[in-house]
Amino acid sequence: MAVDVSSIRIGETETGLLCAIRGAIVWREKNRYKYQRLGPFPFHITEQNKKEIYKLFRNHHFEISEDPRAPSITNIQARIGNLLERWLQLGISCSTYGTIILWDGSMTAGMVDSPVDEMSRLLEIARNRLSIVLAFSKNTTLRFSGHKLTDLAEKAEPPCLLQINNFPFSSGPVLLLGDVYVAKLTRGVCSFRLDIDRKVPQERGIEAVQSLLGSDLLVQSYPETLRLAHIFSTFTATEVIGIQRFISQQYGLKIITRPNVRRLLFGPFGKGAEG
Amino acid sequence: MRLYKKEGNSLQILSSPDDDVEKGDYLIVEDAMVNRKLITQVIDVQFASVPGLLEELLRDSTAEERICGENFDPLGVSSHINHIQDARMLLCKIRGTILNDKLHINSSWLPSRSKSGITKISINSLLAHLKDKEDLPINIGETKDASPLNITAHDLDGRLNIITGKKGTGKSHLSKLLVLGLVDYKATVVVFDLNGEYTGLGFSAKGGENEYSDRIHVLTPGANFKVFLAQMGLSVILKIMIHALGLPGTSTREFKRIWKSLRQQGKFTLDDLGEAIRKCSCNLLVRDALFSRYYSLVNSGFFTDNEESATSFEKLFEKTKKDGGALVINLKDVSSVDRQIVLEYILGNLVKLLNQWKIKSVFLFAEEAHLYLRETYWEDIVTRMRHFGLFANFVTNQPDTIKENIYRQADSIFLFNFTNERDLETVSKAARVDSETVKSIAQELPPHHCLLIGRAVKDFPVMVKVRALDIKTLGQTRLFFER
Repeated sequence: MAVDVSSIRIGETETGLLCAIRGAIVWREKNRYKYQRLGPFPFHITEQNKKEIYKLFRNHHFEISEDPRAPSITNIQARIGNLLERWLQLGISCSTYGTIILWDGSMTAGMVDSPVDEMSRLLEIARNRLSIVLAFSKNTTLRFSGHKLTDLAEKAEPPCLLQINNFPFSSGPVLLLGDVYVAKLTRGVCSFRLDIDRKVPQERGIEAVQSLLGSDLLVQSYPETLRLAHIFSTFTATEVIGIQRFISQQYGLKIITRPNVRRLLFGPFGKGAEG
Repeated sequence: MRLYKKEGNSLQILSSPDDDVEKGDYLIVEDAMVNRKLITQVIDVQFASVPGLLEELLRDSTAEERICGENFDPLGVSSHINHIQDARMLLCKIRGTILNDKLHINSSWLPSRSKSGITKISINSLLAHLKDKEDLPINIGETKDASPLNITAHDLDGRLNIITGKKGTGKSHLSKLLVLGLVDYKATVVVFDLNGEYTGLGFSAKGGENEYSDRIHVLTPGANFKVFLAQMGLSVILKIMIHALGLPGTSTREFKRIWKSLRQQGKFTLDDLGEAIRKCSCNLLVRDALFSRYYSLVNSGFFTDNEESATSFEKLFEKTKKDGGALVINLKDVSSVDRQIVLEYILGNLVKLLNQWKIKSVFLFAEEAHLYLRETYWEDIVTRMRHFGLFANFVTNQPDTIKENIYRQADSIFLFNFTNERDLETVSKAARVDSETVKSIAQELPPHHCLLIGRAVKDFPVMVKVRALDIKTLGQTRLFFER
């Protein structure tokens, strides 16, 4: 079972930011993939309501509700996306039994939207229900002996798991809750960082990967279930226009195109992001 | 609907899936700021090119094949996304401008993209703008919005019209409708009926006589349509000999001499002509050539020595003078040579009568005219004979049999469905409409629907469902298997 969440910026208003988030859960049942899509949920985030929105999300996810310091408006879109993702992960951990749960990302805890206690609780609930979490990262900043981690398994014969042992378990507030592997599960040019719950016996973790290889389709070492979760959550340009239309009809907002300052200043040389 | 792009006289209009707009509909682009309206016709409806649509469809096609699931969308945003996916682009042609309630045929004005409003206009209100007077109306059928569409008999008077479309789409039916429409207004119509389809015009569908029965005169060459040799002028018989029977020049000169000598003697039977050729002191080959043509005349059965059984062409037209009428020349079961003899005779005499002002004017309906009308006649009919009062209406399912210059001169075209690109290409050479309109709309016309192009609809192409007629249907294909 895989979960992924996407968020996208829909536009700006005079007072804040318009964004939308959507989550997707995909699982395999009797040789068929099934999905549940949640959203899209559009948000208008302003300086006035950002704290309230953030708190709402945190309260649904984190049991210990401290008074959170809401992030800046520019970061809040990613944050609420992460919070929805954690909420879905929690839901899956609580409702499944003996399942391989696939996360998009790592098991790094101790950051604002992934408190150590909560991340540990997510993994613990899954462990107690004999499920196991495998977290696949498409990109990693981790390096080993100066080499990018995912390059290490380049010449290895698939399927293979390369365990990276020398990473420190913790670094300041950041904590790695999983054993870090480089996974090259099928032929192809891709390999991924794979985190497996540190508290699960290593053999069981490897068995889970073996089971994944036998039960799911893997293309370029990436599980199809997770790929579909990504596809179903991602926003296309059409959807962005559709959401803009929904907002303008529902709330009477008039859509105008903000002048591209770079284009205004630099003409054809004004490449790069708008604004 | 929003104005998106203008290129030449083409417009692109972005339309929502809820807009009830189809090919052939007319739209008004109104710029209230300048009190001007642009009249455009939708010639094609396409999906709007929306970014990200391909990804969307790929994702959905993945889902259809091997994945199923649910969407939890409490806000109902998906309907808006679907709306964007189904957005349409209307390809339109500018037909004119309305300025201060007056119609102008020009497309030089560009309305505001941001402020213009676009609305659908019914064909009837459009035509109300176009037509000044509605006298002598001929009801063709009904438009897409179920309102009756009339043309006027003036639209056929002094005009060249073409009715074309593929087999079984209703060309002959429309042609019959026009014939009866003209007869209603006491016009004289001559129909070259290749398949005997028009012979039932005087009968109702149930078989009894109808209101036209005494004004429809069916003439079957060799049966109730025979001519007495003496009635024929030299020019007509020469046309028959040269064009229908291919008599060479030297023999023609000899024939002319024989004919003149017979006229002086007042002898004008077929036997007299045969005897004169036999006695003629000319070259043997010339005599043989004359004899072979003579026997063709005799064998056609079209000529008679019995003056009483002969049909006087002049008298025939007398019948139609008062209340109008149609002379249906039934060419069914007539061989191609005999057909040409008959046609040369009729056209030769028609021109003569028109020239002498014995008849005012004649509407000619010719089905598949390429089968009997010689090459030189086409241009003659279209250009010269029009001035004498012979107004041609050509009906064909093979548009390439009519020359390009005829299309260019056509005043109105009644275009039925064509699927073949080549056929459409031919018709699109008509001067009164752009080829894109012809190609796009005609390909999707259902049976019994036609696209009216040209003068009859004041150059505003209109789709019409041709109305039914209470006449005996003839000329249907004979089938082996009963249905």
